[in-house]
Amino acid sequence: MNRLCDSMEPRVMDDDMLKLAVGEQGPQEEAGQLAKQEGILFKDVLSLQLDFQNILRIDNLWQFENLRKLQLDNNIIERIEGLENLTHLVWLDLSFNNIEAIEGLDTLVNLEDLSLFSNRISKIDSLDALVKLQVLSLGNNQIGNMMNIIYLRRFKCLRTLSLSGNPISEAEDYRMFICAYLPDLVYLDFQRIDDHVAKLAETKHQYSIDELKHRENLQQARLEDEKAQREELEKHKDAFVELLNGSFLFDSMYAEDVEGNKLSYLPSVGELLEAYKDKFVIICLNVFEYGMKQQEKRKTELDTFNECVHEAIQENQQEGRRKIAKFEEKYLLGLSAIREESELPNVKKMIMECSEDITELSNTLMTLEMQLVEQLEEAINMFERNITDLVGSFIENVQSLMAQCRDLENHHHEKLLEISINTLEKILKGDLDEDLPDDVRALFVDKDTVVNAVGASHDIHLLKIDNREDELVTRINSWCTHLIDKVHRDEIMRNRKRVKEINQYIDHIQSELDNLEWGDILD
Amino acid sequence: MEVLREMVEEEEVAEREEAAESIKWNEKVEKMVRPLEMRKEETTLTQETLRDLEKKLSEIEIPTPAERLVFTTDTIDISNLPLSYKTNTPKEEHLLQVAGNFSRQYSHLCPDRVPLFLNPLNECEVPKFVSTTIRPTLMPYPDLYNWDSCAQFVSDFLTMVPLPDPLKPPSYLFSSTTVLKYQKGNCFDFSTLLCSMLIGAGYDAYCVNGYGSQDLCLMDLTWEVCPLTVKPKETIKQKEKALPKKYTIKPPRDLSSRFEQEQEITKQQEMRAQEERRLREEEERLLEAEKAKPDPLHGLRVHCWVLVLLGKREVPESFFIDPFTARSYSTQDDHFLGIESLWNHKNYWINMQDCWNCCKDLVFDLGDPMRWEYMLLGTDKPYLSLTEVNDEDDAENLGKEDEDKSFDMPSSWVDQIEISPEAFETRCPNGKKVIQYRRAKLEKWAPYLNGNGLVGRLTTYEDLECTKILEIKEWYQNREDMLELRQIQKGTGLNTDYFKPGHPQALRVHSYKSLQPEMDRTMEFYETARVDGLIKREETPRTMTEYYQGRPDFLFYRHVDFGPRVKKVALSSTESNPRPLVKITERFSRNLAKPADEDVAERVFLIAEERIQLRYHCRDDHITASKREFLQRMEVDSKGNKIIMTPDMCTSFEVEPMEHTKKLLYQYETMMHLKAEEKLARHQVWESEQEVLETLKLREEEEEAHTLAISIYDTKRNEKSKEYREAMERVMHEEHLRQMEAQLDYLAPFLAQLPPGEKLTRWQVMHLKDECLSDFKQRLIDKANHIQARFEKEIQELQKKQQWYQENQVALTAEDESMYLSYCSQTMFRIRILEQRLNRHKELARLKYLALEEKLYKHPRLAEYLKAST
Repeated sequence: MNRLCDSMEPRVMDDDMLKLAVGEQGPQEEAGQLAKQEGILFKDVLSLQLDFQNILRIDNLWQFENLRKLQLDNNIIERIEGLENLTHLVWLDLSFNNIEAIEGLDTLVNLEDLSLFSNRISKIDSLDALVKLQVLSLGNNQIGNMMNIIYLRRFKCLRTLSLSGNPISEAEDYRMFICAYLPDLVYLDFQRIDDHVAKLAETKHQYSIDELKHRENLQQARLEDEKAQREELEKHKDAFVELLNGSFLFDSMYAEDVEGNKLSYLPSVGELLEAYKDKFVIICLNVFEYGMKQQEKRKTELDTFNECVHEAIQENQQEGRRKIAKFEEKYLLGLSAIREESELPNVKKMIMECSEDITELSNTLMTLEMQLVEQLEEAINMFERNITDLVGSFIENVQSLMAQCRDLENHHHEKLLEISINTLEKILKGDLDEDLPDDVRALFVDKDTVVNAVGASHDIHLLKIDNREDELVTRINSWCTHLIDKVHRDEIMRNRKRVKEINQYIDHIQSELDNLEWGDILD
Repeated sequence: MEVLREMVEEEEVAEREEAAESIKWNEKVEKMVRPLEMRKEETTLTQETLRDLEKKLSEIEIPTPAERLVFTTDTIDISNLPLSYKTNTPKEEHLLQVAGNFSRQYSHLCPDRVPLFLNPLNECEVPKFVSTTIRPTLMPYPDLYNWDSCAQFVSDFLTMVPLPDPLKPPSYLFSSTTVLKYQKGNCFDFSTLLCSMLIGAGYDAYCVNGYGSQDLCLMDLTWEVCPLTVKPKETIKQKEKALPKKYTIKPPRDLSSRFEQEQEITKQQEMRAQEERRLREEEERLLEAEKAKPDPLHGLRVHCWVLVLLGKREVPESFFIDPFTARSYSTQDDHFLGIESLWNHKNYWINMQDCWNCCKDLVFDLGDPMRWEYMLLGTDKPYLSLTEVNDEDDAENLGKEDEDKSFDMPSSWVDQIEISPEAFETRCPNGKKVIQYRRAKLEKWAPYLNGNGLVGRLTTYEDLECTKILEIKEWYQNREDMLELRQIQKGTGLNTDYFKPGHPQALRVHSYKSLQPEMDRTMEFYETARVDGLIKREETPRTMTEYYQGRPDFLFYRHVDFGPRVKKVALSSTESNPRPLVKITERFSRNLAKPADEDVAERVFLIAEERIQLRYHCRDDHITASKREFLQRMEVDSKGNKIIMTPDMCTSFEVEPMEHTKKLLYQYETMMHLKAEEKLARHQVWESEQEVLETLKLREEEEEAHTLAISIYDTKRNEKSKEYREAMERVMHEEHLRQMEAQLDYLAPFLAQLPPGEKLTRWQVMHLKDECLSDFKQRLIDKANHIQARFEKEIQELQKKQQWYQENQVALTAEDESMYLSYCSQTMFRIRILEQRLNRHKELARLKYLALEEKLYKHPRLAEYLKAST
């Protein structure tokens, strides 16, 4: 679009160009001298202006991590690219370029102000990530379809929009349409939308908007439902008993069981299966409920533990802060006294006193910390014991319930075998009344085949149950180990951090005192 | 009864003392009486003054029963009292008979008890039963709905007069209306009035005739601690100790010797016990010293007070009210030594219980005939623990009640009790009351009585003789500067003013020693009323500390140290000479939007040393905080260039060293920012100082002016609203008159010529119409002529004047000339107006004429003919 620059040679965004721009736009005067002295790191720059540079390709911007405002207007850029790292960007100006499609903005979640004025854009899309968008300028483009407006409904913060100079702005009810479909908009094409027009527009397009709203609401509700379901499942997963509050396990047992399904056609197997399923599901439900309860128990246990630990740490910190505050008071007085003192031996004595104080402080703080470590260790060990016990009893109970499942399966298996053999006998005798499907009948050739088929089905079922049980046990065990590991690790980290902090502080004070000493001796 | 007998015996033993006492008493009475009589002789002035004086005097004579007789017949104006005061209805007569009978039987059955207080004489010398003297009334003031405010009102409103004979109930009991009128009364009058009000307000209240302590009977509060000086006991909040949770860490091992601790504790306890004993002994000694001599008439002094029983109006427990002091006592209180009888507006009960232990063992179950003998049957008091046997016993013992079974208490003979709003507001007689307490004096005034709005003053003294003032508390009302309470500590000279919300500077408390600036003072503010959120400002000669709340910049504390004022030689006195600032300390609360390492907790501007110290907030999981110190001194390097920033100008300690803060640019920017902040802080300090000066000036002005605010709802006092109301009334009145005028019948003078009441003939109607119109026409012409005449006259006069001016123009002084000119302009103005009026009249005359014609057509008496004719 920028005809003036079209004639010039395109330029590349290289280091020199960026440095120049940063230097020019950086601090001025005294601060500028300092800045020059030190040099400015690209990652400290908050705002960058690169207009009228004849840039063809956005490049080399990855270092500007903290950039808030970027101006690239009046260039000959054709594609939006290379902005992925600028996640803190709030203000982006790409007006007066040759951009044809909106793209490459998916990481700029903080963007509030986007200008794409005077480009070659024909469709509004790919803006989904910009949830904070407030100002959008798309004037002088080639947007021709009114339906693009509906896309903008998802931006709840959008207040200012400009679309003039597009084919759609020629349309008769252009303003009305936008006012109606974007009711939160305040400024359109740099003019305030007055309430009267807004109301008029709303009445005019009421039907279609209502329909749209209805659809949006439905979708919203569906999304929420899905989310809720997902969350519920997540909760069950946390309790390690997901999909046990129904017949999922039972169904999965029969999902891959060809023989079992075939055998269910046999007379009276149907009822047997039904009864079996009922009993099975009841046990599953038991497991589920027990699991949820145990999860609750574990959670309260963990919460109490965390709370107590937090309290203990807080108290200890308070104590530490008090000690430091007390020390500092005394220390500052001591320092000023030293400064005023002129007699060298006296100074020496005072300095000695001060360093004694420092040592004492260091000792007190370290004692506090050691004390806390001991106390916490005790608490952690207790917690570890308790949580392991909880997990152990949970596993035991689940295993016993699972054993009931297995018993049921065995029982079912025996019954099924009996029926199958009876049927086989009947078939062999030839006095079977009912019709059986051919593939089922094919099983009943001889006793071995039948027994094998039933056995295979039984094996599959048992396998499924075992798998489920194993999965549960493994997961809860790993959760437990992880938790305990984490607790220990956190405590170690905390301890190290604190020791480091204390040392750092003591070192600082000591060095301050030493410096003073040195300065005094010089004087 | 035993107690009484004992008392009597005691009395005999202490006869001599008593005799001496009674002689004194008589002397006192005589002393009071004699000067009055003397004055009586002297006052032979006009009838009115005599009467007035007499009334006043006789009121004072109340103590002696003989004088009192005179007082009632002579000075209480009984002529205006309603008939019910002067006579008894048959029902009342019947009641008196019943009462007489009851009294006779009672004295027969209990010969050793004092006669009952049943039917004293009223102001018209008519015996009235005590219950009928109670007139339950609900006062129209919401303030008088609760018992405490009622009692306070009665005790404030009436002046206490002791009983004529402290050992006997009075022979007279006046109606509450009379008592209210003269604002005086004895304990029976007080109780009757209070009881009437309380029953009216829905309480279950009774007048009690009994025996009280000396202090109580004589309203002697000098031994009582003033209730206003008693500090409310601090309720010690028992902090609920949280149950130790499962994982609460164990406290570190205690390595000190338990034996030593125990030894220490026992030692301390001993010390404390000794100390306590010493204190107690001292206290007892003091109490002993302060204690009054024992009263020889103890237990015999008749008193009357009010009993409020539990039940109604959500009263949880029965209690006594002393009507003199408006204080409530528990029914077990030591001041109340015995009860003879009690009554309300419905019935009369005699106490049959033994009062050997004062009132402590009395049971106020009025339905129990063993404990309380009632006079009339059919009370609404159910016997709480009713049993069949008891009931029968009653019937045998007191069979006389049978005949009275259907008898109801007649309604009260007393007129409706009324308190005028003025009297209610003035409260105390003449709007002033003084009460002497132990080591304290309480004075009360009616609102608006004092020009500075003073309504109460409590003076507390150090000693019993009330000579050394300890503290003065003054309460104010309706002040424009919202001053509510002033506390003056004599010992320290500290004054504390408390303000209600609404002071122009949002002042809440101001404590000071003098109103001069730069002295010790504390000002507290209503922080919500202030833009800057200032809560408190403390000052000493060298420092100023300000506390803030709810500021957007999180500042909550600012402390300023001032240096000694530098004496400037060549400085005119008008120019202000601010004290030099030495140090400004500002503290900020945590701004959660910033990370702790960048959120400043304390900022110290050491202005004298040109240093700035910053202390940052502590991170949540840290115990040390970052610090930074800037040296502001500008230095010049060897080449004479200004050094902008060097690393040694900023020393810092960082909890977690960061890269960008090491940069000079960052430090430079921070320092620039701090410099600006320092300027701002200095300015704010200056502003604070100015504000203090302003406030002090304002306070001084307010103290001098002390105007009182008058509510717009106060129709009596608010002049503006009064004027407005009167103006409105006037307008209404005028409007009314105009309407009356408008309704005038313009045909009336013409119709008057015709015989009235007859139906008009057609000819008459036409004639009438013509006559009316021509008359109106004539009036219009007359008016036009009148205006014309005035117009011409003015013109003539003007011409004359002009002529005169032409002739004498030369001889005129400037003054005359200006007078002439002003005269001309005035006349011209009049002429112009007349001209306008004439034109207007000409225009309107026709219209008016037409309007009248129209009206005539519509006139009810002419309409039919005129319509027909047209």
